[in-house]
Amino acid sequence: MPEIVLKNIAKRFGKFVAVENLNLTIESNSFITLLGPSGCGKTTTLRMIAGLETPTEGSITIDGKTVFDADQGINLPPNKRDVGFLFQNYALWPHMTVYQNIAFGLENLKWDKKRIQDRVDEMLKLLKIEQFVKRYPAELSGGQQQRVAIARTLAPSPQVLFMDEPLSNLDAKLRGEMRTELKRLHSDTNSTFVYVTHDQLEAMTLSTRVCLMETGVLQQYAPPLEIYNKPANMFVASFVGNPTMNFIPAQVDSVSGNTVSLTTLGRKAVFTAETPVQAVGKEAVIGVRPEFLPIRENGALKAAIYSTLPSGMETTVKAACGDTMLTSVVFGSVDYRVDTEVHMDVVGDSIVLFDKENGKNAGVGKLEFA
Amino acid sequence: MKKILSLILALMMLACAVPALADVAADVAAAEGLTHDELVEKAMAETGPFIVAGTTSRITTAAEAFAELYKIEINSTNLKDLEIYTKLESETIDMVMIQDGAQLLDAIDAGIVINYVPASIKDTVSEEDQYPLAHQFTNKVFIYNNKGDDVPAIHNVWELTDPAMKDRIIFKSPTGEQVNMNFLIMLTSEKWSQKLADAYKAWKGEDIDLGDYKNAGYKWIAEFLPNCQFGKSDTNIAEEISQDTAAGKIGLFVLSKLRSSSVITENLTPAQYAASAEGYTIEPFAGFMYPIYAMVSANANRPYTAMLFIEYLMTAEGFAPWSKSIGAYSGNAAIPEKEGDLPLSTWKETLVVEDPEFILDNFEVEDFIRQYLQ
Amino acid sequence: MEQTLKRKITWTRMKGRLHAWLSKPANIILLVFLIALAVLTLYPLLSLLMETVTVHLGKEARAAKLEVGAHTLYHFKRIFATSENNYSWIQFYKPFLNTLAVSVTSSIIAILFGGVVAFLITRTNLKFKKFVSAVFVFPYIMPSWTLALFWETFFKNVNIGLKTSNGIMASVFGVFMPEWFVYGFFPIALVLGLHYAPFAYILIGGILRNMDANLEEAATILRTPRWRIIWRITLPIVKPAMLSTFLLVFASSMSAYSVPVFLGSPVRYYVLSTTMKELMNTYKGQAYIIVGVMILFGVAILMLNQKVTNSRKQFTTVTGKSGQISKINLKKANMPIAILLVVVLLLVAVVPLVTFALESLIVKAGDYTPGNMTLDFWIGTGLDKRLDQGDSTGILLNPKVWKALGFSLALALTCSVVAGTCGILVGYGVAKRRGSRLASWVSSLSFFPYLMPSLAFGAIYLSMSSKIPWLHGFLLLGLVGSVKYLPFASRSGVNAMLQLSGEIEEAAVINGVPWWKRMLRVIFPIQKSSFLSGYLLPMVSCMRELSLFVLLVPTSNTILTTMLMQYSEKGWAQFGNAINLLIIIVVLLVNFLVNKLTGASIDKGVGG
Repeated sequence: MPEIVLKNIAKRFGKFVAVENLNLTIESNSFITLLGPSGCGKTTTLRMIAGLETPTEGSITIDGKTVFDADQGINLPPNKRDVGFLFQNYALWPHMTVYQNIAFGLENLKWDKKRIQDRVDEMLKLLKIEQFVKRYPAELSGGQQQRVAIARTLAPSPQVLFMDEPLSNLDAKLRGEMRTELKRLHSDTNSTFVYVTHDQLEAMTLSTRVCLMETGVLQQYAPPLEIYNKPANMFVASFVGNPTMNFIPAQVDSVSGNTVSLTTLGRKAVFTAETPVQAVGKEAVIGVRPEFLPIRENGALKAAIYSTLPSGMETTVKAACGDTMLTSVVFGSVDYRVDTEVHMDVVGDSIVLFDKENGKNAGVGKLEFA
Repeated sequence: MKKILSLILALMMLACAVPALADVAADVAAAEGLTHDELVEKAMAETGPFIVAGTTSRITTAAEAFAELYKIEINSTNLKDLEIYTKLESETIDMVMIQDGAQLLDAIDAGIVINYVPASIKDTVSEEDQYPLAHQFTNKVFIYNNKGDDVPAIHNVWELTDPAMKDRIIFKSPTGEQVNMNFLIMLTSEKWSQKLADAYKAWKGEDIDLGDYKNAGYKWIAEFLPNCQFGKSDTNIAEEISQDTAAGKIGLFVLSKLRSSSVITENLTPAQYAASAEGYTIEPFAGFMYPIYAMVSANANRPYTAMLFIEYLMTAEGFAPWSKSIGAYSGNAAIPEKEGDLPLSTWKETLVVEDPEFILDNFEVEDFIRQYLQ
Repeated sequence: MEQTLKRKITWTRMKGRLHAWLSKPANIILLVFLIALAVLTLYPLLSLLMETVTVHLGKEARAAKLEVGAHTLYHFKRIFATSENNYSWIQFYKPFLNTLAVSVTSSIIAILFGGVVAFLITRTNLKFKKFVSAVFVFPYIMPSWTLALFWETFFKNVNIGLKTSNGIMASVFGVFMPEWFVYGFFPIALVLGLHYAPFAYILIGGILRNMDANLEEAATILRTPRWRIIWRITLPIVKPAMLSTFLLVFASSMSAYSVPVFLGSPVRYYVLSTTMKELMNTYKGQAYIIVGVMILFGVAILMLNQKVTNSRKQFTTVTGKSGQISKINLKKANMPIAILLVVVLLLVAVVPLVTFALESLIVKAGDYTPGNMTLDFWIGTGLDKRLDQGDSTGILLNPKVWKALGFSLALALTCSVVAGTCGILVGYGVAKRRGSRLASWVSSLSFFPYLMPSLAFGAIYLSMSSKIPWLHGFLLLGLVGSVKYLPFASRSGVNAMLQLSGEIEEAAVINGVPWWKRMLRVIFPIQKSSFLSGYLLPMVSCMRELSLFVLLVPTSNTILTTMLMQYSEKGWAQFGNAINLLIIIVVLLVNFLVNKLTGASIDKGVGG
């Protein structure tokens, strides 16, 4: 099972920097997502690994074999890298039937007819598209096209499978179904998946590790829950999680070891981290996930209801605490009248303290109001 | 309903009818007896643009001089004969100079153009050239390149049918210009086929074996055309044959093209000039000749001006643009040929002159000729 | 009582529906154009059919032994089934086979040459791309006979053709090309192919540029060898463009007249258009039958074309991340290919111009020494006395030339404004009512004039005009030009409109902006360069058009191209060459100016 290693990868188009100094190790048999807003360099990264794009600097090895090295002048073409690639728009060949689309790659491997036929049938069955075998892509729905594209990609059993936002053209329901299928496929096929998406939910639910990027720079590379609970910086914290994390401004009064005394929301408070607090300036930001901001009758913070957004299983409540708008998620359906006064608490030990200036995570822990 | 329909139809016909067709013919008929001065008076009373079209490029020069003389505005254009007929269908033209007598006879019968013979020249234009009125004669003669040691200075046209002459003769395609076709058709006439048969005997010393051919004319055509190359225009042919590199070539083209500055004249010798100088004749012809006719257009806007212009063209003054070089001969016998050229009378004897009536009766020979153009 | 009420209701509803239908400008536009195009294209077609069974004045009447104006099937019998003297074979079947051979070959040459260059430009890192793409459309902008004339003057020699003189290749380089290379089938097909290659370049290039690069990348990932990707993926996807090119080039080559005349006649190689022109002089009925055959062929290919593009394998390509097309690195082959291409283009597009300039300076043909050169044909005076040939002054001092230039420009401008504007309107109507029967009728009708050979189109309009007193002169020329070039304009109009989302106009509708204002203030500005390209193409084509106008140009007002033709027919080569050069320079200048000022370009006009 192949391991993919990127060393000091950079890609520049003239003056524009798409990817800068990227180091990444993709372990074998993992399901990695490259996550980030559009234009962050995730697709470029994927295409560079696949060999569709040539990096400006750095080296890439797949399964110990160097497929690219700028210094040594190595650049293996994509067809020599033993990878599969699933395109955002599926890239099905419009002039070929479903069968021909799937068989095409196998023909390149010089398989005999019978073997190709068997493999295509297997794929058709796996993806439940047997009945469309004679149709042309234009005669298929989006979801069906997507399955054909997956079948075509998987048919030659690639060791590594790259996917570039493969679900973004599907409707919400279908997308949910396909996610399940993909995860299942991953465990069935035993190959390494590298998946590009801008949808944090997809990244969280699918992958074993998330690689979060912004403007060409790697922000954090960690398992989904670690990304969620211990975001490396404010960008990661805000990009992951829905509703977004609350960012509450605070003044640091003093720091000693694991504890920080600070003033926030007009109150004195003490932040106690799990580990010694990293350097933090005078200005800080406290990051609180909405689920750690419950509404309680005798909560420490007073706030006025701004709006209530019930969605059945849970309700998102927005309330103004002084000048700061806070978001809370409450289990079940509740409805508050606008401007009702409520009380909130900050609970749990996953509160994050950020340095305001550089946005970096200074520590994770508890917050207690004096 | 029917009434309305027929009314509409009648109105449409009125709107579409070419106005005053009969008037022009009547005017021309009425003008037969008019003197020059009366003609001028009537012409000057006419208004509007005066438009003439002709197959000869020098019509423009003549028209400009005419315009100068009578202080009128004139528009002249140089077109091919068949284009002139097409034009006459759709626009007003006052007067035309046109070649191909056969088609012209049809056009006169159809009332498209009208023949007019000015009273002042009735005596100096021979009877046969008055209907239709031949303004001038143009001759296309055998002219060869006099360079090299294989000069085709022919004495007998049968020499041109020799396989050795293959690709050495340049002619304008008979389908490209009707007068060339007419010349070939004339050869199948009794007169010319007989002459060709005689010439054959003079050349070979034995009677002609016609095989499947109807007469000697057909045989000559069938053996002459395959030896020919077809040039784009007479000017082009003249230029090409006059090249130093064209030694051994002979052409059948308009004699007056020798005037062209782009032609290397010293390399060219008209066969008949050589023959006349050395006292022999080319058997049985040295080329062919056809008239260019001057006609009043039936849709003329200024019929009297058209007649005046025709009269002018028949005078020495009006013929000046042509008379300054060889190869053009006025239909008016009072106007002499250019110095150094042979007189019209000599040419008429030694060239095949087209006979419109014969051509009209025998135009189907064209199909026979066409086979040899492929 | 109840029934009348019912009827009344039905009537009111119908009235309401009609009113709703008519309140949409697109419907009115389509209706108006349907009627106008039916009159302007179907009526000529009908009168063409009438001509094929009518007896015309002259030999035709004599040969048929019928009255002028009588109706007969004689012409059909004569042209299709006369074995005597090989008539039908000579006049129809042989030229027909030649036409097929020439048209098919030239289409293939155009597709190959234009397609390969389009591929090189869009898909590789070829050098000198800018030069190549700029110069590549030159041959199309120049009159088609330009290249033919050049070919002959450049390659002719004493071993072939008239066998009288040497062109530049023989006299300067001492190379004597064989006859098949200089005259007949090969050069005709090649010259036409080169002339129309820009069609292929523009159409195929357009698809290649818009084609989703992922389609090729997907094949690369699946370990497909490069040639197999081109053969199995790229080619099938550009197939519709290739077929469109085939249609356009085939129809154009079939009706091309000047090229076969220049390069075919010297070796007695005739095609349908040359036979048709010749027959038009004497046997009109048969000539019109040939025109009919040519139109039938065009329609057949058009139908084939539509059948292929309408098949199940829809080729509408979703544009993916086209910014990420990875271009093929030509590596060592880059320089040689680039240089070869530049040389070919120089030969095809630039050397002819130099040749024309040279030929317009020399007095005696074939003599290129300085002593034989003069500027007289451009700026001389009193030439008729000195040269005894051609006009009395050089073309730049000749008021007739300036008048003709003015007339040509005015005509080109008129046709471009009329055709271009109609093209936009047709485009609007067709795009808005896409898929409706009315829209497909109008779009087919607006393409139809393209299939009519120019010469015949002119001839039919001429005979129509003789029945309508007010339709002559400039008006007639403008009308014919506008109708003939409408296909170009409507094509670019439809393309431009299809790219425009309907919501853009709907936003203005909601705000109550009237229709004309929406067109002028919203739609036009957005697709300005596409629309202007729709104006440019008729303009350029009109400036260099000959066959369409040759019969219609009034005696008193000539245009540059007919003047050129008269000069060349007279054999006044220097004047002819000078005017030819003048035409080309004016056309290139117009093209350049419009391009610089507005961003419109020929390729946008055809390809969209």
